Amino acid sequence: MPELRKDPVLGRWIIISKERSKRPTDFLVEKFKVSGGFCPLCPGNEDKTPREVLSYPHNYSSADTPKDWQIRVVPNKFPALVIEGDLNKEGEGLYDKMNGIGAHEVIIESPRHEDDFAHLSPEDMALVFWAYKCRIEDLSKDLRFQYVMVFKNHGRAAGASLEHPHSQLIALPVLPRLIVSEIEGGLSYYNYKERCIFCDIVKQEIKNEIRVVCQNDDFITITPFAPKTPFEMWVLPKRHSSSFRGESDRSMNSLAQIFSESLQRLDSCIPNVPYNFVLHTQPLRSDKLEYFHWHFEIVPKLTSIAGFEWGSGFYINPMPPEEAAAFLRESL
Amino acid sequence: MKKILLVDDEANICFIYSEELRDEGYSVISASNGEEGLRRFEDENPDLVILDIHMPDMNGIDVLRRMKTQNPAIPVILSSAFPEFKQDLGAWASDEYVVKSSNLQQLKDAVHRQLD
Repeated sequence: MPELRKDPVLGRWIIISKERSKRPTDFLVEKFKVSGGFCPLCPGNEDKTPREVLSYPHNYSSADTPKDWQIRVVPNKFPALVIEGDLNKEGEGLYDKMNGIGAHEVIIESPRHEDDFAHLSPEDMALVFWAYKCRIEDLSKDLRFQYVMVFKNHGRAAGASLEHPHSQLIALPVLPRLIVSEIEGGLSYYNYKERCIFCDIVKQEIKNEIRVVCQNDDFITITPFAPKTPFEMWVLPKRHSSSFRGESDRSMNSLAQIFSESLQRLDSCIPNVPYNFVLHTQPLRSDKLEYFHWHFEIVPKLTSIAGFEWGSGFYINPMPPEEAAAFLRESL
Repeated sequence: MKKILLVDDEANICFIYSEELRDEGYSVISASNGEEGLRRFEDENPDLVILDIHMPDMNGIDVLRRMKTQNPAIPVILSSAFPEFKQDLGAWASDEYVVKSSNLQQLKDAVHRQLD
């Protein structure tokens, strides 16, 4: 019989369809074809990108002559939101609006076009997380912004348009509704139990083991109790921390180790799987939150969203997370 | 006289753009699809390309990447009715992106920026 499961943070219901047991091979996906040709993100083509805002190992000061870079962050050449201008908030009757101000940046994760994020060395992956941290820190100084959303689209089906490994961030003048809902869910639980719901999830999952994919001393990857999609994974710090940008460099290394292992397990289960990952962290203008816990959500693109999902806000997931976690644990 | 290669599957667009650009003092040649565009790019060695994105045989962004592989020095202006293609990072290989409009001033300004 199918099962309805409630996400304990958001209160959102998910349908876990158990009638037909699926295996990872049921989700075979087409390889993200490398179309080849000129790549504006490759070394040598720096003039095709806007001037970088961060690079490594060279710093801003050498941005005009980038050489032998390992990672670059550049503003989006055709941004969804623009950096210059005032918000000019106004109302139109009961409707609110403001200018489309924001920062839209692309993090070029490697100089090598054919690299795959999942198979970057933990050292190189840690650099990517370090770049996220630096950019969030820098953008937080702009008081127009409330939140920085960091995300990655991997594979054509997940929205990636170029094979060269990259992720993106958008600094927003408003808080995304999903983050607000997570914070409200965390606060509601905290008011009742005086504990962080994410800390309790981590403790319970470590104890039960059944949804644990992998862990180290600092981080854990789980398949959440009520996942939106098959093989969805959350990567969370084990100790309480609400702000990603407050993490140390050592923490980035430890995160990279577990993140890399998690993605490699996923790739081993379902080769070439398209996925998105999104960083959920506290808003820029918040002090440390006792009831919210930063984390990454890795969402493989294996199911489609249609009328029922749009209409109800429910998701139908054909793979119980306990089975997904077992496949992921056995995959390497 | 500077030569512009216009690649667009819509004959009306090719006609209107050609007329306007000739009035601006440029020589204009055209191609009605991506394959023909690549052929003429190689044979004619234009000074600039104006390239549509949404074409039946080949996505303009793939055409762009092949043109830039062949000769990155020739400027390419992407011209599309769909601004959402800006979110395709492949479009970064272009030198300009102009959303199609009945007012051709923006396109002409982009051409002048690249050629003059």
